[in-house]
Amino acid sequence: MAYDKPLPVPTREDRPFWEAAREHRFVLPRCRECGHVWFPPYESCQRCLSFEREWFEASERGVVWGYTLMQQPYVPGYRDELPYNVVLVELEEGPMVYSNLVGVPDDEIRPGLAVEAVFEDVTEEFTLIRFRRAEEPSGRDRT
Amino acid sequence: MSDRSFAGRTAIVGIATSDFRALYGRDPERTREELATHAIRGALEDAGLEKSRIDGLVTGGTSHYEPIAYRAGLTDVRFVADYPSAGRMCAVALMHAAMAVEHSLANYVVLFNSVCFRSQQNRFGYSSGSTGLMYESVYGMASPGAQYSMAFTRYQHLYGGSEAQLGAFALAFRKHARLNPVAIMQDELTLDDYLAARYIARPLRLFDYCLVNDGAVAYIVTSAERARDLRHKPVLIGGTAERANFREWYVDLEFWADACGSMKRDLLDPLGVTTADIDCLQVYDNFSPSVLWGLEGFGFAPRGEGLDWIQDGRIELGGELPVNTSGGLISEAYLQGWNQHAEAVRQLRGEAGARQVPDCKRVLYWCLSALPNASLLYADD
Repeated sequence: MAYDKPLPVPTREDRPFWEAAREHRFVLPRCRECGHVWFPPYESCQRCLSFEREWFEASERGVVWGYTLMQQPYVPGYRDELPYNVVLVELEEGPMVYSNLVGVPDDEIRPGLAVEAVFEDVTEEFTLIRFRRAEEPSGRDRT
Repeated sequence: MSDRSFAGRTAIVGIATSDFRALYGRDPERTREELATHAIRGALEDAGLEKSRIDGLVTGGTSHYEPIAYRAGLTDVRFVADYPSAGRMCAVALMHAAMAVEHSLANYVVLFNSVCFRSQQNRFGYSSGSTGLMYESVYGMASPGAQYSMAFTRYQHLYGGSEAQLGAFALAFRKHARLNPVAIMQDELTLDDYLAARYIARPLRLFDYCLVNDGAVAYIVTSAERARDLRHKPVLIGGTAERANFREWYVDLEFWADACGSMKRDLLDPLGVTTADIDCLQVYDNFSPSVLWGLEGFGFAPRGEGLDWIQDGRIELGGELPVNTSGGLISEAYLQGWNQHAEAVRQLRGEAGARQVPDCKRVLYWCLSALPNASLLYADD
């Protein structure tokens, strides 16, 4: 069956992000002038407003900040998934991203859970970055 | 007192609200304009003011000034402000109306909000074609309620607290609504009912969510001096405050502690008003955890202890700090904070009938959103 969930609509702001995801790479924008890392991938730095943006390979690691279990069919295509989880993940690099956890039973999802990215090719064109339980502890405390 | 304050120099002099309950049946031909016109007429009558005196027009929420101005025949207006379509603009609109009066840009400002969400079958939480700044919809994320739900799981992780404890808000607001004939929700709500209701975005349930309804609210703001010549005892505007929280994920990661602290410093401290001086709260209960975090942020409840603090009737009429005595957005009507201000005026006039807070002198409002704002109203003694 054709994929019927919402898909990204890339623009020049975020096209590099989705192109990298298609190649199973998780990239984030960083400011060449001040070093700030941000998300969502605006063209300019949120700290110094520079447009000198570079992309770097992210750690693909983070921690669940909070989660919810969606119980109502708000979003087209997700009706058959109900109930499903949505998480807000704090990436090791600092930014927050929405995503879903895969392979974690609902009653084991909790804030503080260390997670790592997985790449799901949902269509020919698009890959979504989801997260699973991290296989080893977060690298945050390591040098 | 700080120079920014014009506390007590402006007043709300007329209010009107729809019969929200009577309007709960859908009517596809009902319009925001007709509801607003009813409310404006009601506010003028309540104030005892001739329409010709209105020279300022402020709209908030989903209403717009022009179609209403035609219908209400407002022809001598010299101050207009029209706020974006979002629930969070009520105290902002009040602030600008009061500022206009303080600076003689207008003498009598009529403010209103009017919604037809139910009759027009508005769908909240997802708009097609939008993937959002953080691509939330590609992951099935939608609705502010789900964002508050997510923040509530974080809160529980840090501080504990049960879903049943959160139910104290829904139970209190329903109890109050049952004393308000125009409130939409009139059936008794027990804790068992609350817990048996369906989850919307777990852990939040149906009765943690505000209503979706039709209705309008209007009020009139003028100077305190002019107010004293009108029909009712003026309700003075102590002030308003804003503290933006512009983050793409909508909720505040510290449960709005900074925003509430900032608004408290701007709004209450210059007047020497403390939490102990507030007689009741009429606050934005779009989703019940929002009230919890305001109680903690403004210092009514200790940080992390709010769920314990609200138990045993403390926030109910007759308790230490009645909250949302008309039923709030959850049980009276979703008029986006405008009904809360109308209830504050009734309480400060002593006109709240069966739900009157004894000797009510000061009422605090807040709305915790991407643009947190707050107001303090007090009685003219």
